[in-house]
Amino acid sequence: MAVKKSLLLLLGAALLLGGALPAAAGAPYESYLYNYWGDAVPAPDAYLPDKAVTGGDLGIGSFAEPSDAAVSPAGEVYILDSGNKRIVVLDREYRLRRVLESFDNNGTKDGFQGPSGIYVDGEGLVYVADTAGKRIVVLNAEGQLQRIVDNPRSDILASGFQFLPLKVTADRAGRIYTVAQGVFEGLMQFDEQGRFIGYIGTNKVRRDYREYIWRLFSTDAQRAQGVLFVPTEFSNADADYKGFLYATNIDPNSTVPIKRLNPSGEDVLKRFGYNDVRGDLIYRTSVGPSKMIDIKFIGDGMYSALDATQNRVFTYDDEGHLLYVFGGKGNQLGTLKTPVAVEKLGGDRLVLDRGRASLVVYKPTFYGAAINEAAALHYRGEDAEALGLWRKVLQLNSNFDLAYIGIGKAYLMEKNNKAALDYFKLGSDKKSYSVAYKRYRREMMKEHFGTVLTAAASAAALLAALKLAATWRGRRGRDREANLH
Amino acid sequence: MKQTYIKFPLHLIFHPFDAFWDLKADNRGRLGVAFSALALTALAMVLQKQYAGFLVNNFDPRYMNSLMDILAVVAPFFLWCVANWAVTTLMEGEGKFKEIILASGYSLVPIFLIYLPMIAASRFMVQEETSFYYLFNSIAVAWFLLLLFIGNMTVHQYSVVKTVATMALSVVVMGIIVFLGALVLSMLQQLTDFFVNMYRELIYRT
Repeated sequence: MAVKKSLLLLLGAALLLGGALPAAAGAPYESYLYNYWGDAVPAPDAYLPDKAVTGGDLGIGSFAEPSDAAVSPAGEVYILDSGNKRIVVLDREYRLRRVLESFDNNGTKDGFQGPSGIYVDGEGLVYVADTAGKRIVVLNAEGQLQRIVDNPRSDILASGFQFLPLKVTADRAGRIYTVAQGVFEGLMQFDEQGRFIGYIGTNKVRRDYREYIWRLFSTDAQRAQGVLFVPTEFSNADADYKGFLYATNIDPNSTVPIKRLNPSGEDVLKRFGYNDVRGDLIYRTSVGPSKMIDIKFIGDGMYSALDATQNRVFTYDDEGHLLYVFGGKGNQLGTLKTPVAVEKLGGDRLVLDRGRASLVVYKPTFYGAAINEAAALHYRGEDAEALGLWRKVLQLNSNFDLAYIGIGKAYLMEKNNKAALDYFKLGSDKKSYSVAYKRYRREMMKEHFGTVLTAAASAAALLAALKLAATWRGRRGRDREANLH
Repeated sequence: MKQTYIKFPLHLIFHPFDAFWDLKADNRGRLGVAFSALALTALAMVLQKQYAGFLVNNFDPRYMNSLMDILAVVAPFFLWCVANWAVTTLMEGEGKFKEIILASGYSLVPIFLIYLPMIAASRFMVQEETSFYYLFNSIAVAWFLLLLFIGNMTVHQYSVVKTVATMALSVVVMGIIVFLGALVLSMLQQLTDFFVNMYRELIYRT
């Protein structure tokens, strides 16, 4: 009895202690991917939350309604603290560098009136979309005014046009693109002098046939009262190093909420993956599909989009394959309340959370870093170098189809067609499989052509001989019946 | 033996008008052949899901169920025969039930004759050649439908228009049979539930 009791005690203690042991640091969200069949399959965490930076931590008072963030090429993080009408600049280690509250505008002290978008270009110029001020303010890295873009003039603008820029981005040539409130024609484009050039990348209005039929039967008065069908506005944009624009829109039924606009405004985003580039594929109808509100070009063809429905960040590679998903709704470190902007600093990903007035820093795990590196190598065409990384990724996540495809491509480069075939099959990549199979088949035919032909020729000869023998025997039989022998 | 079981079905698919008449008038059809054709068609459907080449096989292997695949061929076949018999009996068709089964079964011959080799061939195809796979499979289905049509026309001694009408009606009747079957099943279920509940009420009543 006593033994039993002490054993029980021991067991209890073990359980208690076991519970008290520190568990491996996990994310407060579940990571997943979508497979070939469109099912969500679990995946390891590619990014884990590291810390949340708040105004209080920096000693400058809480952020008030921060609305956008940007990272300069020098690695400085610019947080647009809209409610306090200031820009907070952090260094690489997320320590306070400086605060920009005002600038010198031709001798007078000027400040932001109600900014909502910020962008830092490759030369370190800071573009601020000052919505309430109806202007875009361009400052240099030291906070000195470079120029102000306001009051656009053009024949194509209505006479009482109100210029209310919300988000801003600029390409290498210094052209400024802005998402403006109440503008449905696309992104507004300004040249380097700040003159309005025109719109770029209008979203298409989709025809609703039910509405169309309904309108056929309605009177003019009813038609005039009906809803106006206007294209959806863009929600955000980011220029890549080539001058192409990654843009997001929040049309709830669109299968193309993410676009890559070329200089003439056409969507040239590659969508070669199995699934649409639209964030979540499976969602409850009451919640709705992903609403992309920010996008960040990562480099090497990769881009991250921020979904405001489930507060997740979706990262895709150049060809439109989903690489990883992180973030989620909640109040823990790593989950988000009202995310507004996604940024990148080195390998880190930053998400600005307006609801909790903080900048959340995510660091890549071994798995995430391996994917980033392998996807970058694949983009540069160095598939052979990516081979080892894809293998590492597969060890951690055997559901990762892209890794199978990556390995297959590496084998295809090495002309190891048989191995490539197997990996393309595992990755369900029919197009690449077909390419590998064509080569494999030709190889096999070359190798066995002689054997096959010899076998076929001998078989034909044998058949002919047998037939000949049969006719001969038959003739002899007939001859015998006719008593010729 | 070889004449009845192999040569005649092959002759039939190329000369349907003559052969279906022989099948009816000279009693050359065999139920064994019809059911073998049905079994081979079911087999072709099962094999297609399992063994068709990777490039043409869009079937999710997690939902593979060969019994359902077999049922998906056999059940509509008999449903068709019953529905067709029901319709043609009322519409002065001359075909007996056995002849309907024979005509429908013999019509299935091109399906497996084309499907089975195409399954093997599809494993050696590249993307550009897969259109041939789809083309040949479509030919098989079209051929089957044509034979079914001619078979129906010959067996029942109908005109073209009447054949089309009865075949369309048969499809409708197939739907009605399924509907009635489902209705009866659900009624039976409710009925058993009712008696089970009554029994329970009685034994718990003290």
